Formats: sequence, structure tokens, C-alpha cells
Amino acid sequence: MKKRYMLVALTSLVLSMTACNGFLDREPDKIMTDEQIFNDPVMIKSVLANYYGRVTWGQHVADWGSFAIIDDAAKCDGGPDQRSTFEDDLWRVYDYTLVRNINQFLKGLRETTALTDAEKAPLEGEARFLRAWYYFNMCRGLGGMPIVGDDIFDYTPGMDVTSMQYPRSTEAEMYDYIISECQAIAGMMSTNKQTNSARANKWAAKMLEARAALYAGSIANYNNKMTTPIKTDGGEVGIPADKAEGYYKIALAAAEDVIQNSPYELQDKRPDDKGLNFYQAVSVKENNTEVIWARDYKYPGQTHGFTNFNAPKSHAEDIDNSWLGVVLNLVEQFEEIDTDTPGEGSKIETMENGSYKFYDSADAPFKNRDPRLWGTVIYPNATLKSSPVILQAGQLNKVDGKWQILTGDLDSKDAQGNIITALNGPKESNEQYINKTGFYIRKFIDETPSAGTRGRGSEMWMPRFRMAEAYMIAAEASFELSNGKALDYINAVRNRAGVKPLKTVTFDNIVHENRVEFAFEDHRYWDMKRWRLADKIWNGNNNDELARHRRLWPYLVVAPGDPNDGKWVFVEDYLFMSPNARYFRMQNYYNFLDLGWINNNPKLVKNPYQ
Amino acid sequence: MKILSNIFSLLVLVVLFSGCGKDNYDAPDSRLTGTITYNGEALNLRGTGEAIQLQLFQDGYDKHDPISVYVGQDGVFSAMLFDGEYKLVTRDGNGPWVNNRDTMVVNLKGSADIKLEVTPYYLIKNEQISVTESAMTASFTIEQIVPSATINKVMLILSKTQFVDDVNNVFRQDISDVKSGAVSFTADISGNTDVSNAKALYARVGVLANGADQAIYSSIVRIR
Repeated sequence: MKKRYMLVALTSLVLSMTACNGFLDREPDKIMTDEQIFNDPVMIKSVLANYYGRVTWGQHVADWGSFAIIDDAAKCDGGPDQRSTFEDDLWRVYDYTLVRNINQFLKGLRETTALTDAEKAPLEGEARFLRAWYYFNMCRGLGGMPIVGDDIFDYTPGMDVTSMQYPRSTEAEMYDYIISECQAIAGMMSTNKQTNSARANKWAAKMLEARAALYAGSIANYNNKMTTPIKTDGGEVGIPADKAEGYYKIALAAAEDVIQNSPYELQDKRPDDKGLNFYQAVSVKENNTEVIWARDYKYPGQTHGFTNFNAPKSHAEDIDNSWLGVVLNLVEQFEEIDTDTPGEGSKIETMENGSYKFYDSADAPFKNRDPRLWGTVIYPNATLKSSPVILQAGQLNKVDGKWQILTGDLDSKDAQGNIITALNGPKESNEQYINKTGFYIRKFIDETPSAGTRGRGSEMWMPRFRMAEAYMIAAEASFELSNGKALDYINAVRNRAGVKPLKTVTFDNIVHENRVEFAFEDHRYWDMKRWRLADKIWNGNNNDELARHRRLWPYLVVAPGDPNDGKWVFVEDYLFMSPNARYFRMQNYYNFLDLGWINNNPKLVKNPYQ
Repeated sequence: MKILSNIFSLLVLVVLFSGCGKDNYDAPDSRLTGTITYNGEALNLRGTGEAIQLQLFQDGYDKHDPISVYVGQDGVFSAMLFDGEYKLVTRDGNGPWVNNRDTMVVNLKGSADIKLEVTPYYLIKNEQISVTESAMTASFTIEQIVPSATINKVMLILSKTQFVDDVNNVFRQDISDVKSGAVSFTADISGNTDVSNAKALYARVGVLANGADQAIYSSIVRIR
């Protein structure tokens, strides 16, 4: 026993004497020092790449559920989506860690000697652009928040933290800061196109400047037209009305710079097929001339499941499918090509003289509408990957001289071999993988083979700025400034789309054009907010057609001997999957501040209604 | 050995049973109840969805998170609290009344019943609501309390539960361009199967003032 103790004691002694051979004194290989990073151009680029991966907020393709929150699409997966109101922290952005990291990067970059000043400039421009983009995303949700500039805070225990507690800036100051940053960096950045538009260049900075100025201008304008404008005493929320004109002018100048001087153009390579042209302009990277800055994805490693989850069942490549269903609310916004009232949507007629309206084909109500409908939505019998997507809820039979609806299981056929209910549905069910609205989404669906599998995923990008927005910003700013140029700009977008040009422009035309052009591109929610329209449209009334999701289901007429045999009828109804109308409350115009932030920094004031 | 393990088990048991005393507080058992009133009369409000909230603050602590107090559709609220001095305030911009963020100091000892006076933009009086198979008819008086207020819309609402408001309903019709005074409206409900199939049916009308985030309601009328 004693011997063993001795042995243990000896071993410990030996170990303690010899342990310091440097084995534990290695340099960590996962934590880099500033010197290691900023003396190596490749490392500098890697660090910058990290920031690009941290700036995706709002609705986006890797989070398709986000598209079902507003009135463009509904969840079709499983049982109903009970959503009515919007959360107080919906799409709230608050990440000062990112700002601190970017400021550390800027400090390291400015001090390094590994790069020449000419090489540093575009990198500094990109970092500051991402920081401005962050502030913009935060500001559109929260209003004015602390601006920390280039400061890097370091905390040592026991120090006085009050010097780190910055008060909120005003909403106007925040937009001014974003605009001035964009103006300062535009000259530093590349003017060339970037691979897959993944990195920001001068034109992305110009677009951010234009969009920020437009948002600021519309808040100054429309907020003050409300009965009780939403504002705080210190201006953290709310912009004085007299600033509107200045902001609109900045927005117009920046957008015109992009239109006149940038290497991008409204992509119009397929004038013979405008629907395909629009799809390619937004959703195809190869030879794209439209998209200025996008969140790009690349296999392996950087892919997402949007195509996998949202492809039609008949075209699915894996188990998942049919998660999102586009709602009729959006579909009927796409105007008919030969309409007498260009620039506004129109309902799809389902009844005629007290009976069904009979259409010659399943796609008849849709194929003569705005070609952007084809490029955005998969409607019944539209082509995907060169085969049609069959959507058929059931048959319309004639029984004893009366029309009667017949439905069945998915992929069911009658004795004559006619489809009763198609494989894709639509069908009323609480099961997953069934379409329930009558429409699928096409925008951002990737046609690349195996892009719709769980294993690989899709490389589909999501554009953040594209040329059409430059035109729409120019159109809206011109409209608000009444300078007579709005018509030309909005008609440029409409001509490319393949719809009739407008003769005059109204505010409603601008709202409408933005909705159909930028559906599913994270525009509408923010547009409705800055125009202060959100509480009017999303009023929570379950009997309001605009506030509640609706469906449109196609039925094949099977009535041998009847003149309408083989034709199609459509039935419109509220969507059972969305039993509650969207209800945008006044408090939703600005996110609530987290109480934890206020406890940490008592200088932060709360937002209205909080 | 066996004795040792027995002792050990006993020790563990004792620790398990007696361990939880030092760091636990008793649940709050003082009751604060109250009513939101105008001239002493309770207001009819929306009582669902945490729509109308009051905030209780207590000084002297590090954190300043308010305790949210939810108000029912009859204007009544209650909260279980510890004894102490609280500050009660309405939530900013919330409610069908003129925004007033003056604090009311509440001294709670055992229980307290308070009245929180507010100035609503409008009140609904003398409501007469009837429902036939095809129509809902409501006549009532919209009493203007704040002279500068304007009406955004009037809502006629039917619900199959006794919670009747702008969100909880089977039927809601919005009517705009309404002036205060005695009014009467009829809404077409023919073809609304939710209404015709409802075993129980309750009706209510509401008036939303421009600039308010919530409507003021009438009392609830049971139809069937």
C-alpha cells in the first residue's frame, strides 16, 4: 500500500517537473491575432466575407415562412396558420456586435501595411456599406437608434459604463447618417459588376442611398398626414414634414445616377416571352444585367431549401414540397394586358349571369394578364421545367340538370380516366405537401437539377437591389416632387414587363407597380409601413377581401353532351388555412425596444405605444 | 456498510426536502383590482389579445421592466402583487381615450380597489341591437366627449362567444363617414353561415376614433 503511494507521489513529481515542455503553450489555431489577420490580404478578405453572411434580415429565401406573414402567400404545410397580428419584434434588427466587429475591421484595415491605399479603399467601402445597410435595416424597424460611428468599445470590469451608453439618434439623423456614409464610400468602391452581384460596389451604395432617402422622405411626408402622427418627443421616431422634399431630391439624384451611369439595365433579352424574361431577370444569375446586389448562395456549403420546400408536388425532387401557396390577393393584382385601366389590378370573374363563368382552359384567366404573373406565380397549367403544373380541385358535373362539384383524393381519376383531383391539389386538408390556395410560387424556384433536394439545396440568390427599383424610386420621388418625370420612369418598368404604358401616374399606380414588380422581394411590408397604409389595408376585418387571404380553385367541367364539357370554372373563397385577417396595429409601425436593452442603457427611450 | 448507505440515503432525502427554503419567495398574495372609468362609469373595451394594458412600476430596483396588467372587456383589471408602493400608468397611445401618462400611486396592503379615470374620445349609449336571418340592425347614440375627435369608423360585430370585439367575431362590418349623435345602421348578413349556424350569438358595436389604436364599445347584447 505504502509502496503504491510512493509511486503515485513520484509520478506526480515527475509529471509536474516535465510538463512545461511547451506542449500546452501552443498558439491557438482558432483565435487569430490582429497581426495575423491584417498582415495577410487573403485573411482580410475572409473577415469581410464573414460580415456578408451576417446581414440577411427581413423576408428572405432561406426563411420561406416569412413570406406567409403578409398578404402575398399562405402557409400550406399542415394545419391552419392562426396569425392575425404582427409581433412587436417582427423582423427587428439589433446587432451592435456586428457594428463593433466592422469597426475593428476598419481600424485594422486602415493601419495595415500589407495592402496599398488603392487596394484598401474598396474594402473599406464594402465594410462601411455593410454597416450602413445594417443601420438601415435597424432603422426601418426601430426608428432612430444609437449611432456609434467608428468607435470600438472595450469593457474592463469596474469601469464607468455610462460613457458607453449612447442615447438614440433621431430617425432623421439615422437616415442622414446612412445617406452620408453611402455618399462618402461611393467614390471608394468598384464601379464594375461583381460575380453574381454578391459583393457590393458603388451602385449598391447608390441604391442604398436612394432607398434610405426615399424611406425617410415618405415617413416625413405620410406620417405627418395621419390624424395623429406617430412620433416621440425627441424625434427618435417621426421626421418633420419639411424635410420630405430634400429627401426625395436625394433619392431621385442617386437613382438617376444608377440609371444613367451604371453598367446595369432593365433586363429585356426575351421580348418574345416576357414572362420568362421577368423570371430570368430576377431569378437567374447567368448573364444577368438587372441585379445590382444580392444575397448569393453557392454549393457546397451555402445553399438553402426554398426550392425543395416550395416546388409543386408533381415537380418535387425530394419528400418536401408545397409549403407556400400564393394567395389570390396577389394574383389578381396583375392587370390584364388589354385592360382599359392600366396600373391597377382586377378581380378574376368566377360568376356570370348567376351561374359559373366557363373558361376554355385552366390558364385562361391568367395567361392574358401581366407577364410578370407568369414570372412570379405558377398558376394552373403553367409550365415549370417544360412540363405543365396541373392544379385541379375537382370536377364540375351535371346531375339532374344541376351543376354539382365532385372532389376526390389527390391524384384520383373517374371511370373514364378524367382527373378528379390533381396530384397537386388544391385540396382542403390538414396534411402537409398539398397545395391549398390554387397557386404555387415561381419566383426563386430553382430549375437546376437536384436544386430541390434536401442533400444539395438551391443556389438561388435573393436580389436586394435591382435596376427596376432604381426606376421605381426615381418614379416615386419624381411623383412626389411633381417634376413631370414620373411617367417616363414607371413606364420603363412597365414596358419591360410587357404591360400598357400609363398616361398619367397616381399614388395608387405607384403602390400597385411596386407590389407586382417586387412581390416576395422583401419590399411590400416596409413599403406599406412607410406609406402609412399598413393599418388601413391590414385592418383585421375577417370580412375584408384585402385583409384576409383568399384562394381560387379550378374545377374541370365533365358533363358529356353539355356545351361546356371540357371547360373550366373557378371558385373563390376565403382561405381556410388563414382563418384570421391580417391585423396591423398602430404599435406595429415601429418595433418595441427590448426592456433588457433599456435596463442596460437607461438613455434609450421607448417607442410609441410601448 | 449497510448502515453507512442508509445514513447516506437519509442525508440525501433530508437535503432534497429541506433544500428549497432559502432562495424561494412566497407567491404574491395581495390583490389589486380596479376599473377604468369615465365619470365613475366603467368603460366597455376590447378584452382579448392583451389589447389594452396598464403598466405597474415599482421604484427602488435595478430593473425598470413594467408589470403588465391586462384589462377585460368590461374595463375591469386585477393583479396579484406583493405589498408595496406602485405606480400605475396607462400604456403609451393605448386605449380609446386621450393619451395621458400621469402616474397614479397605489399603496397596496392586502388588497386595494381603484378607479382609473380616463377621457374617452366617444361613448356609446342607448344601444338597441337586433338580428334577423338576413340583417343586423343597430341603433345607438355616439356621445362626443372630446370635441376635437373625429370618427374613423363604426363597427357592427357579431360573435358566437361572449368575447365580442374587432378581432373575435364571426361577422364585422366597418362603416366610415359617421358623425356623432343618434345613428342607426343595418348590415346584410344573409349567406353568412358562421352567423346562421352559431348556437349562441352576441352582438356589439364599436367606434374607433381617428388616432386611437383601440375602439370604444357598447355593452354586449345576447341575441340567442
